Amino acid sequence: MTHITFKRLRTFFLGSLTASLLFACGGSGDDASQDQSSAPVDNTEEVQAYYAANPDFFSFKTPEDIPEGLVWEDGSELPEMGSAKAKKGGTEYRALQDFPRTLRTIGPDSNGGFRGMLLDDTTPTLGFRHREYFDYVPGLANAWARSEDGLTYYIKLDPRAAYSDGVPVTAEDYMFMFWLYRSSYVTAPWYNNYYSTMFTNITRYEDYTISISIAAAKPDGEARVLELQPRPRHFFKEVGEDFVDRYQWRFAPTTGPYVIKDGDLKKGRSITMTRNPDWWAKDKKHWRYRFNADKMRFTVIRDTEKIFEAFRRGDLDQSGLNLAEYWYEKLPNDAQEVAAGYIKKAAFYNQRPRPTFGLWMNTDRPLLDNLDVRLGINHASNWQLVIDKFFRGDYARMQTEHDGFGEFTHPTLSAREFDIEKAQDYFARAGFKQRGPDGILVDDSGQRLSFTLSSGYQSLKDILTILKEEAAKAGLEFRIEVLDGTASWKKVQEKQHDIHFSAFGVFLELYPRYWEHYHSDNAYDQAFLDDGSVNPDRKIKTQTNNLESFANLEMDRMIESYRASDDRQEMIELAHAMSELHYEHASFVPGYYQGFYRVGYWRWIQYPEEFNYKHTQGATEMFIHWIDEDIKKETLEARKTGNTFEPSIEVYDRWKEN
Amino acid sequence: MFKFNPQTLKKLRRFREIKRGYYSFLLLAGLLLLLVFGELLVNSRAIVVKYEGEWFFPTYTAFHPGTDFGFDYSYEVNYRDLRDRFANESGGNWLLLPAVPYNAFENNGHGGVFRPTAPSAENQHYLGTDTTSRDILARLFYGTRIALVFALAFTAWVYLIGISVGCAMGYFGGIFDLFFQRIIEIWSNIPFLYMVIIVFSVIPSSLSIPARIGILLAVMVLFSWTGMTYNMRTETYKEKSRDYVAAARIIGASDTRIVFRHILPNVLATLVTFMPFVVVSAIGAITALDYLGFGLPPPTPSLGELLKQGTANLRTAPWIVSAAFVTLVFLLTLITFIGEAVRESFDPKKFTVYR
Repeated sequence: MTHITFKRLRTFFLGSLTASLLFACGGSGDDASQDQSSAPVDNTEEVQAYYAANPDFFSFKTPEDIPEGLVWEDGSELPEMGSAKAKKGGTEYRALQDFPRTLRTIGPDSNGGFRGMLLDDTTPTLGFRHREYFDYVPGLANAWARSEDGLTYYIKLDPRAAYSDGVPVTAEDYMFMFWLYRSSYVTAPWYNNYYSTMFTNITRYEDYTISISIAAAKPDGEARVLELQPRPRHFFKEVGEDFVDRYQWRFAPTTGPYVIKDGDLKKGRSITMTRNPDWWAKDKKHWRYRFNADKMRFTVIRDTEKIFEAFRRGDLDQSGLNLAEYWYEKLPNDAQEVAAGYIKKAAFYNQRPRPTFGLWMNTDRPLLDNLDVRLGINHASNWQLVIDKFFRGDYARMQTEHDGFGEFTHPTLSAREFDIEKAQDYFARAGFKQRGPDGILVDDSGQRLSFTLSSGYQSLKDILTILKEEAAKAGLEFRIEVLDGTASWKKVQEKQHDIHFSAFGVFLELYPRYWEHYHSDNAYDQAFLDDGSVNPDRKIKTQTNNLESFANLEMDRMIESYRASDDRQEMIELAHAMSELHYEHASFVPGYYQGFYRVGYWRWIQYPEEFNYKHTQGATEMFIHWIDEDIKKETLEARKTGNTFEPSIEVYDRWKEN
Repeated sequence: MFKFNPQTLKKLRRFREIKRGYYSFLLLAGLLLLLVFGELLVNSRAIVVKYEGEWFFPTYTAFHPGTDFGFDYSYEVNYRDLRDRFANESGGNWLLLPAVPYNAFENNGHGGVFRPTAPSAENQHYLGTDTTSRDILARLFYGTRIALVFALAFTAWVYLIGISVGCAMGYFGGIFDLFFQRIIEIWSNIPFLYMVIIVFSVIPSSLSIPARIGILLAVMVLFSWTGMTYNMRTETYKEKSRDYVAAARIIGASDTRIVFRHILPNVLATLVTFMPFVVVSAIGAITALDYLGFGLPPPTPSLGELLKQGTANLRTAPWIVSAAFVTLVFLLTLITFIGEAVRESFDPKKFTVYR
């Protein structure tokens, strides 16, 4: 059943001069090789041999070995998520900008936008973080207990749990998960490393009781363990050298509610996910009111504007309206569909760690290694104007590098304000006193105060042009470079940037991470000599997330204590001290954060009364909405006859900050 | 340079007789002249300022900080504010702003936010503003200038390389010809767009914007000269076997002399006929590249970027796309008219079915 499709991409035509440019792309390799690959292997013996070869990691014990006196928790007293009024049924229509390149959730190309639908957003983990109370509620586990030293977690699995093909989930699948993630077949170095270093043991006591040990006790140690998911042993028993090709387009049995049936995957066009009517958790508390649509139909529409137009026509059910131009202009409150009540608009204020939008300065570059220059750049970046005029005052200024972590975020630090005078004073201290003929500052040797400001965000390039115009007032020149996402990521990973506008996505977790961005190990090879002085021959280290080339012995010490600490209060104090140190270093200009999300949705899509939960980052993240078929019929009828309803524009500001 | 022969002069006379093409040519020449002196027409800097008895002509000079004119800031003075201030005080100070008092880069933000505003004569945005409140007329004006200069430079280079290689292939023939044909076949099969993307991703951004535009030009020329060679090669082959070439060779003329002084003037018709279409394709290419986001580095004003913005805001700001679209159609139509007229006037058969 192999068919090779050549997608012909006609770009543009250079008149009579050059031949027209036709080139073929994509589509040939992946599906062809699946059929050609050799007969399936059976890795059962290999896996067993691996367990036997690593007895410290994979242990087999009996229920009698479980220590006495454990305090079992189950989070079941937390309120349910979703609404008891939710109706099951209906089809939800959504758009995809890119067709997923694989149905695997591990290995090359698996980290695409559709992964959330396949795994992260739809599949239960052992425990699930309640998006309002931050604590865990039961998922695949019914109860868990922490050992006295805080290193081991004992877990009672829910015996009802089963994959979509009916096979029950047992302890074996969790052990197998470690084998799979540590195996070289999956070609996923991050997984290999994370699952080898963060965990030290998994023990099977009986089919439905296991324990998992982590490398270091942390205040949120349970997050490491409870967010694990089993992998179906029976499905992945063919994993071998050809894993990447063999599993490219096979839908793995899931513990989640949605499956992709045969024939529902139309490559390059659409995907339909169907709710499994026999889902094991369909009556389980905290899960029963979620995942309500019978089907979810994803259609590929590549152009953002076309997606929006499809939404306005009613072909898609919901659309994000985060950007001001969508909320105010493209779907204003007096738009016909909104005024007639067909489309509802909602803004929901949330609280969670904020993505780190800002300017990352590479302090290894000439001039940027000068603190005065960096301070000047901080004062010459007019983020307030961007927020007020580009985002129309809806967004807020980011104050530190780690906003939204509750107590762990520094309570009083605030980002430096745009101030031409201060900026010029700092630049003058660095030797830039004169303005050149174009108004840009020059020093005595005639060097211009000019830096490349790069970014991988095509859609946010307007922000860069605003910053450029404003910085010129302080005599600072930004040369703008807008790259495509991959190229820009490569550039900063090679540490080839001067100043980069970017953000790191932040997980919903208890405390921020510092080691990745601020430890000297990630800035230079051997940043300091043994006596603590700067190593004159140090070389910049590439492929790390220390984009500021931040190297400071004091910071290193604090990061190490922070990583080793299991005391919450100590960690909070260290986090604040590190933020202060980072602030003094002035190598990061905090940008903005969006303290809410906004959506437009057709009125047949229903949300619970409070709309959503405090820590959610999108309206559909929790799948607590549902489709009311009767209202859909009524609305479609009304569009024909011209009937109208009460318009609905709601702002849910219960969790609004400040 | 070579002298035009009477035949060519006759062709030029005939070109003048084809009115549509001739007037298009005059219009385009006028437009080019206008664009050359664009800073006097579309600019945020004043043309003349008389302040405290002193005269300033800031258009082409170094910037004047606000302090030069009694403001308290050290960055470039905002001449529109200055105009308003002069209008309010009665000090005999005055200034003359260009007809469009905005440059292509500033975010004006009338009404407090950066958003597209409709064309309005009142705030002198005659074609409205784009999504970050920059004046569309200014961006269009300078975008057109860059596109035209780019296209002309592109044409010149493509011709230079195409003619040299093509003539050499036709003139020398034999193994040289065979070898170059293969090279060109291989070369012209390299996907152009990928090359532009790859080359652009490795250009250090520390280069100035003109340098980066220059590199873009070089890359485009590098992958576009091949088409020209085939025409030149066949024409040269044809001319080479004529008696006058043999005669020139007998007197001892060098190869270069024969190619450039004897053969080239005789194949002028081919060259000239293609020229407008090369210009059209260059404008099309640079606009398409900009539209795709691989062209001129931001914030350089460009037609492609305006088109992209315009299509994204079709419903809310139709003036963006219409301005860019009309300009592009106007420009390309003019050049095509010229091209048609040139082709016709260089056609040896006066009465053809193509008329």
